Amino acid sequence: MLDRPKAAACRVGIDIGGTFTDLVVVNDQGETFTKKVSSTADNYARAIIEGLAGVLEPAGLSVDRISEFLHGTTVGSNTILELKGARIGLIGTKGFRDILEIRNLRMPRLYDLRWDKPAPLVERYLRLTVNERVDATGAITTPLSRSEVEAAVQRLLAEKVEGIAVCLLNSYANPSHERLIAEVIRELAPDLPYSISSDVLPQMKEYERTSTTVVNAYIMPIVASYLKHLGDSLRNEGMKAPILLMQSNGGLTTAEEASEKPVNIVESGPAAGVVGAVRHAVNSGHSDIISFDMGGTTAKASVAENGQFVLSQQYSVGGGIMISSRLLTGGGYLLAVPAIDVAEVGAGGGSIVWIDAGGSMQIGPESAGANPGPVCYNKGGDRPTVTDANVILGYINPEYLVGGELKLDAARARNHFDRLLAKPLGVDVTTAAYGARQIAISNMIRAIKAVTSERGRDPRGFTLFALGGNGALFAAGMARELGIKSILVPPSAGLFSAYGLLHADVEHYYGETVRRLLRDIEPDTWLRSWSRLEDKARAQLSLDGFSEDEIHIRRFANMRYKGQTFEMNISLPDGPLTEASLATIEEAFGTEHERTYGHRASLDEPVQLISIQIAGLAARPGSAKPGKPQAHSGDLRAEQPPRKAYFGSEHGWLDTAIIPRSALTEPRRGPCIVEEYDTTCVIPPNATARLDAMSNIIITLE
Amino acid sequence: MTALPVGQPKGDDFINFELFKNELFSIADEMAVTICRTTYSGVLRDNMDFSTGIADAQGRLVAQGLTLPVHLGSIRTALEAVMNKYAGDIGDGDVFILNDPFEGGMHLPDIFILKPIFSGGELIAFAATTAHHVDVGGHVPGSNSVNSTEIFQEGLRIPPLKLVNGGKHDVALWGLIQSNVRLPIQLLGDLRAQLAACEIAQRKVLALTDRYGLGAARSYMAEITDYTERLARAALRELPDGEFDFEDWIDDDGMDVGVPIRLFVTVRKKGETVEFDWTGSAPQVRGAINCTLSVTEAASYTALRSILPGGIPNNDGVFRVIRTIAPKGSIANVAMPGACAARALTGFRMVDCAFGALSKMVPDRVFAASDGGNVGVTVAGFDRSGSRFVYVDFSCGTWGGRPWADGIDGISNIFVNMASQSVEQIESEHPIEILAYEFAQDRCGAGKFRGGAPFYRDYRIKVPDAILQIRADRQTIRPYGLHGGKAGKPGSVSLNPNTSNDPIGSKVTINVREGDEFRYVLPGGGGWGDPLQRDPVAVLKDVRNEIVSASAARQEYGVVLDEATLSVDQAATEKLRASLSAERGNATEFVNWVN
Repeated sequence: MLDRPKAAACRVGIDIGGTFTDLVVVNDQGETFTKKVSSTADNYARAIIEGLAGVLEPAGLSVDRISEFLHGTTVGSNTILELKGARIGLIGTKGFRDILEIRNLRMPRLYDLRWDKPAPLVERYLRLTVNERVDATGAITTPLSRSEVEAAVQRLLAEKVEGIAVCLLNSYANPSHERLIAEVIRELAPDLPYSISSDVLPQMKEYERTSTTVVNAYIMPIVASYLKHLGDSLRNEGMKAPILLMQSNGGLTTAEEASEKPVNIVESGPAAGVVGAVRHAVNSGHSDIISFDMGGTTAKASVAENGQFVLSQQYSVGGGIMISSRLLTGGGYLLAVPAIDVAEVGAGGGSIVWIDAGGSMQIGPESAGANPGPVCYNKGGDRPTVTDANVILGYINPEYLVGGELKLDAARARNHFDRLLAKPLGVDVTTAAYGARQIAISNMIRAIKAVTSERGRDPRGFTLFALGGNGALFAAGMARELGIKSILVPPSAGLFSAYGLLHADVEHYYGETVRRLLRDIEPDTWLRSWSRLEDKARAQLSLDGFSEDEIHIRRFANMRYKGQTFEMNISLPDGPLTEASLATIEEAFGTEHERTYGHRASLDEPVQLISIQIAGLAARPGSAKPGKPQAHSGDLRAEQPPRKAYFGSEHGWLDTAIIPRSALTEPRRGPCIVEEYDTTCVIPPNATARLDAMSNIIITLE
Repeated sequence: MTALPVGQPKGDDFINFELFKNELFSIADEMAVTICRTTYSGVLRDNMDFSTGIADAQGRLVAQGLTLPVHLGSIRTALEAVMNKYAGDIGDGDVFILNDPFEGGMHLPDIFILKPIFSGGELIAFAATTAHHVDVGGHVPGSNSVNSTEIFQEGLRIPPLKLVNGGKHDVALWGLIQSNVRLPIQLLGDLRAQLAACEIAQRKVLALTDRYGLGAARSYMAEITDYTERLARAALRELPDGEFDFEDWIDDDGMDVGVPIRLFVTVRKKGETVEFDWTGSAPQVRGAINCTLSVTEAASYTALRSILPGGIPNNDGVFRVIRTIAPKGSIANVAMPGACAARALTGFRMVDCAFGALSKMVPDRVFAASDGGNVGVTVAGFDRSGSRFVYVDFSCGTWGGRPWADGIDGISNIFVNMASQSVEQIESEHPIEILAYEFAQDRCGAGKFRGGAPFYRDYRIKVPDAILQIRADRQTIRPYGLHGGKAGKPGSVSLNPNTSNDPIGSKVTINVREGDEFRYVLPGGGGWGDPLQRDPVAVLKDVRNEIVSASAARQEYGVVLDEATLSVDQAATEKLRASLSAERGNATEFVNWVN
């Protein structure tokens, strides 16, 4: 339960990644303080405690004055990726022992005999079945005997399982058999964690529900003990505030709720980054953005319209990055819970540039990583990378990375590029490097298209929001190819996940399967379903400590034309439902279908309501939103002597000003390059850059 | 240092070429997304039985979107038919439709929608889609029946026609189609999705030619296929030259029950090209499992592509270096009026057969026989409200053992990459109950690397009467094992599996009544390598997971387990393996169909 100290002193956002733990603190004047420390994998709490001391003290704050502790973590996804979850058993319906392992039969790669299906999270001998059956309408056709359940649970206990997942066929329509199994588990093993599918995901489709329930049970003991340990450590330091966690869907939840349904926080970190980008953009006056986050090995894209990010209804962990089509699924572990829709491609600064057997230049997906790293790091890397191309082109400081900690060897990069790429292609080294950059851009554009044009959205209407160590290096080049005119580069792009936490609302989702024609539905019945879900959300939020006036409810519905097999998620208005509003909803669906896919059915074709969902949100008090971030001590103080940078055959090599962000208080035409502690921002010719009131660099392409 | 290939873009142009290529491929993908997300049928959504692509003005395929291997090369054949028939009469705003296997199609359910794209009055490209429709009429719902002997029984035959002429829809043709199919709303909805995909492609291809210019766009499209050809040639160069042949068999065609049908292929590899010659395969048969040449080509491509490195695009450049030969009038190249609705069955077996030949070429890269292709199930009738239902589903199953690992249990056949339909969804949409869907014990072929475990499915009918149509195979001629591995166990189809369990054969159309139950069991994957060399710990794991029984562990693998402690009895195992080895002799025969 939330117990918000009234004399709020500061709020803290902490994002733990594999390498770094980022901390952002905002005090009640809206001043922001940041810190990046190395993660401590043996005990994540240590880095947090140490990092907190480092960021709070200089700000004149202390742990006991933290009013809210907001947290994003990879503990869930790492547990799955490293297969380090609990030893769990699974109870299913007789005849359906292998739903988890058969999956949906699909493989993510064609013509690849070497592909292997990910090992099931529960091995077959721990998957038991019981004789029972519920039909599609929820009627019990074979009753479940309690003694059979007891035998199954005893058998799993004898196998020393650390948790039990339960998923019976058609339980979305009638959960009573699953509830009976839960009752028996509680009776025979009161302390054993368990997950039943009708609680975790009361929706149709047995594989999706089984997989999600199993993942929940698999990571539950690990997430729960992590959160307990973290809470204990922080309380020892004097913290009184509760821990709130970022969920994959972009909303916050309490540590208690996250320990029960850890499946909702698996994509906690990436979600925080997108939420941060969207909220920061809205505060800066941009409501339609494409967030573009480019690091060392991958580039991720996500989209927001009218300040709302987009959710996908399911995703896979460990499925690998997008190879080509998003339709090629089947890898990894499926989670059918809402998550912010992010498309990812294998292109980053460390991506290897090579020539294939057909004589064509290729980028990645192999990456030189941090070790041996790009050729210019001179740490043994012999294969040219995208970063080497940027050094050759004069975009990245050829002497050292801006913090000054890493010396670069530009000549070495040039030699390798020339020998391995330019000569075989019959071009000069500059053209080869520029080509590598442009081809990397065209690969990354695939991620952006996956979330825009493949969903019927024209990217040209959006602002490109550049994040990550390499985002700002490529943003203008990406925008040019996509026809985007406006780019936003926020301060401290590298800390954005931690920053995003401070912007999030507490959020819970509830859903119900309906499967009826819209025109056959009685508005009152539907309204009662809404109310039922709303009551659940309000009850949970009030448990979370929010008062009635802080709570907001949003309605969604999944609909399709009768006979279609994919649904569209449509946002619906509040208020009463009438026959007329049903007609309006039907029309709204047709309009959205046409907008997304370019066609719609004739008016006499009925629309089917598949399921309804509600999001219960608790908006936080208006104070203590992060304001203008502070400049980092490692940033440039003043303009440096210009250097040559190459801008394609149209412009050639140009003298390019090297400037700190602060120099853009006066608008400036490109070419120029902003060098900062954690990123480099390229402003090409035919573009103008300026700072806005939020210290963002706004680049406008002509 | 490799020299720059002739014709490759020079200087800055290589950058534009790459950008153009990426863009064109992503347009083809976007077409696929449009179809998949708006389809009315589980066959398209889950089985993903559709393909999209963009061809140049000569009809040569340049970029293919998500594609079932079974469709590889089919777009080219369809475009050829249109260009032959409409030479000089292809105009801006036309959209062509066809499904006739004897004029560009593959089998009647696969309807092609092809749209020429014009820029400045000049034809520059074609947008192409093909999709499997749930029903196109004919004597059995689902239009998939094996039990047709002529194309005329199989449904509505559409030669290459203009569905849209100069932007104007041919209302008569739409009407004719609507009247000849069982589920017109679904079919027309799916056609609409195909049209939308072509519209999107047109818009984006035109943006691309605006940007790069018509001349450059043409030369880039040509270069994309040349580039692909270079990749394919480079990959083929690495393979050993020689002639490699193989035979495999289909149980029967469902008409002449019990008469096996021979498939025979000779793979001739020389330098940078390869030939798949299907001469020696059986003459075309009465049942509807005859293949068009395009299916035979797709099967040949699929097997070959599976041993080549990834990253080679699917387009005309690949087709140029692979030649497929099949005598007209054979099962591999059907002549009028042969029936071919269930031709995929033969396609699957051709893939098995071609893999067998390739295993002689590169033994360490090819797996033993998979389940032999999917089982097709159609249940149709009227539900209690009087509405017609047609449930069409294809399930496949499992891979053969691989030279480095076991075959995968529960996976799509390599020829299709189909997903299963959700049991709960099937039950909510059709008056059918599914009683079981899980792995069957002791059905996989033994081997150092065992074949994948197959699954079985039980169904119960919930309406007074319905038609059940099943297409299966590998019930007598089993999935072969390789290099000492044993054959997979055969599949089966039976009625009332929990009581009388009456076998009903592999290819049937029968009437069923309320309460009737039926079961199919998929064949198991073939094993790879001598089972006596299998790691006993792997056998133990299979026994513990009840994929293999303790008695089979002894008999097939020579592994003795101490069931109390769940461990391998090392001494007893060594002794048993020695005696089995002496008894069996040298278990390294190349191929094994029998045990």
